[in-house]
Amino acid sequence: MNSDIDNSFIGSTEEHLVEAGTGGTSLGLSELWQQRELVWIFTKRQIFVRYRQMALGIFWVVLEPLAYLLMMTAVFGTLLKVNTGNYPYVVFAFAGLMPWLLFSKATTAAANSLTDNMALISKVYFQRLLLPVSGVIREFFDSAVVFVILVITAWIFGYPPTLKLLLAPIILTYASVAALALGLWLACVMVPFRDIRPLLGLALQAGMYATPVLYPADLVPQALLPYYQLNPMYWTIELFRWLLLDRPVTLTASFGYSTGAVILALLTGLIVFASGQKRVVDVQ
Amino acid sequence: MSSDVVIRVEGLGKRYVASHRTEGSGLRTRFAAHLKEYLPMLRQREEDYFWALRDVSFEVKRGEILGILGSNGSGKSTLLKILSGITPPTEGRAWLRGRIGSLLEVGTGFHPEMTGRENIFFAGAMLGLSQREVRAKFDEIVDFSGIEEFIDMPVKRYSSGMYVRLAYSVASMLRSDILILDEVMAVGDSAFREKSQKNIAKAARDGRTILFVSHNIPAVKQICETGFILRRGKISYRGDAAGATATYLREIQQISDFAEPQGPDRDLSKAPRFDRTDRVILRRISMFDRNGRPSNEFTSGDRLTIKIELDNHDVQEPYFTIFFISETGERAMTLYSTHQHYKAPRGSTIVECAIERANLVAGTYRLIVDFGSFSMGQFQSMDCVADAITVTITSPVDWGPPRFVANQGYILQPATWTTRQILAMENN
Repeated sequence: MNSDIDNSFIGSTEEHLVEAGTGGTSLGLSELWQQRELVWIFTKRQIFVRYRQMALGIFWVVLEPLAYLLMMTAVFGTLLKVNTGNYPYVVFAFAGLMPWLLFSKATTAAANSLTDNMALISKVYFQRLLLPVSGVIREFFDSAVVFVILVITAWIFGYPPTLKLLLAPIILTYASVAALALGLWLACVMVPFRDIRPLLGLALQAGMYATPVLYPADLVPQALLPYYQLNPMYWTIELFRWLLLDRPVTLTASFGYSTGAVILALLTGLIVFASGQKRVVDVQ
Repeated sequence: MSSDVVIRVEGLGKRYVASHRTEGSGLRTRFAAHLKEYLPMLRQREEDYFWALRDVSFEVKRGEILGILGSNGSGKSTLLKILSGITPPTEGRAWLRGRIGSLLEVGTGFHPEMTGRENIFFAGAMLGLSQREVRAKFDEIVDFSGIEEFIDMPVKRYSSGMYVRLAYSVASMLRSDILILDEVMAVGDSAFREKSQKNIAKAARDGRTILFVSHNIPAVKQICETGFILRRGKISYRGDAAGATATYLREIQQISDFAEPQGPDRDLSKAPRFDRTDRVILRRISMFDRNGRPSNEFTSGDRLTIKIELDNHDVQEPYFTIFFISETGERAMTLYSTHQHYKAPRGSTIVECAIERANLVAGTYRLIVDFGSFSMGQFQSMDCVADAITVTITSPVDWGPPRFVANQGYILQPATWTTRQILAMENN
């Protein structure tokens, strides 16, 4: 009903119809697949641009989380002496911090993707779903580098890598999809309402404390636990600690609910984005 | 329906939430305006909107180069954005056949930190070319831009000339069936402009259809075959490029159609005023021939007198300017009064302006009469009639073309030609 113009080359007989649409709309997934080369080029460029002008360049990928880790270890591990059982605080916190930073940065990247690329959006047509997706992929790559440092750190503290590590990409993808879903919901609304940007920063900060990143979940009152566990990042981090540190984890019904919520959020996020992105140039 | 038609636009319209209602006002108004954008049920009143484009319908045939003219805010960019898919229309539809390449800005996707080479690949990808296509055309792009030795330098170090040349070169490699170009001719030096004009012409010869928007009227006239004028979101003229550019030039100078006949004497009291002038100072204009008889038909080289009646109450140091506008809408001749340091008496006066020899080529000219104050080197227009009077000039026998011919200049200058035989002696 409302098929937008695309620039992909099918042949000179392809037809485009631009119409005042009131009816259904495509999610743009097939178009995104056709433009996958562009997704890759876009992601690559963003990675280059981010580090090109910095003296330490790509090292910032690991410097930033490591500095963060040191601060958290100093405060929560050394000063407050958070009880992490038999696990050294540094490794315990790092295993939580790494997936959390992926989630937090990927959410921010996806949510800001339209505002940050307004100049491009208003001058050339491409499937705009590319922007949040590429933002998340970019953060995924960054966190892959951090992951390697994490595995080495864990090893040093006596947790050698096992075959379970092969599950890491799946768990990180789970966190990325959750981030994408949240980002898709916010990306279009962000354009007219820039207030959401600082608000999101605050919300993510709060989210970190509502997730067992810097403390073990045992500290949470038993009665609250089923609700506490609805947070998909709870499962991401618990599973991550399981595969890195062999820390036991029990999958409860909340895991199913939170996974369902992620899938639902992604689907609705795609719909919200698909209908919102059409107007985004007009409301900037 | 001809199968040759590659673009068909039917009743296209685009409506925006009127921005004057949102800007600068309080938080609640702004919030409400944004909400209206998102929640259609809140919008009820028509005055909340502004139509950037309305009821636009046209067809474009394969291989046609269509020029789109219009002043700022006439809806040109909106139209191109809709056709490119950047923004959806509010009503109507557009059907396009073939691969579409649109270039609404030179340098889309360029990043200052990236080198020329990297930017070529990225910008090419943004324009819809595959990396394989860009690689195949890479040398051609670099060659066209003429900045080979700087290709591995970040573009932030480029001069602005180099930057636009590279950006345009990438875009010129677009080999889509339909090319949508906005203001692209404004780039580079004249040699580069010529090169890009040729490139556009070549693309059209290859059977590509081109929509070309530009403020550069000569470029539209030269490159395009057909054209239309957008005025306040509607097509006000559709025809060949020459007709469209001439009409557009007249339109921006607020001169009506030439077909309408006018005598040698006109009452200006009720004549439409140019834009902002609200005062009526100029009262009447008339023309006289060498014998003092009223006439607005002359032979080139004739003496021509223009009489202007006016009521001047407050201008101390007035000026007059009379523009002669040709049939193609260009300014053929200008008469200034400032060199005479003219001082007018107050009240009703008659001013006479005599041209000893009106050496204009044959044709019909429209006169714009502008009156105002000239002090400290500043012109301030007080009253301006865009379409004051018409004058028709014919060529004397054997003196150039008898009717107006475009691109032959506007001055018919009498010259003295003498001939003398070269003698053999003088050659040595």
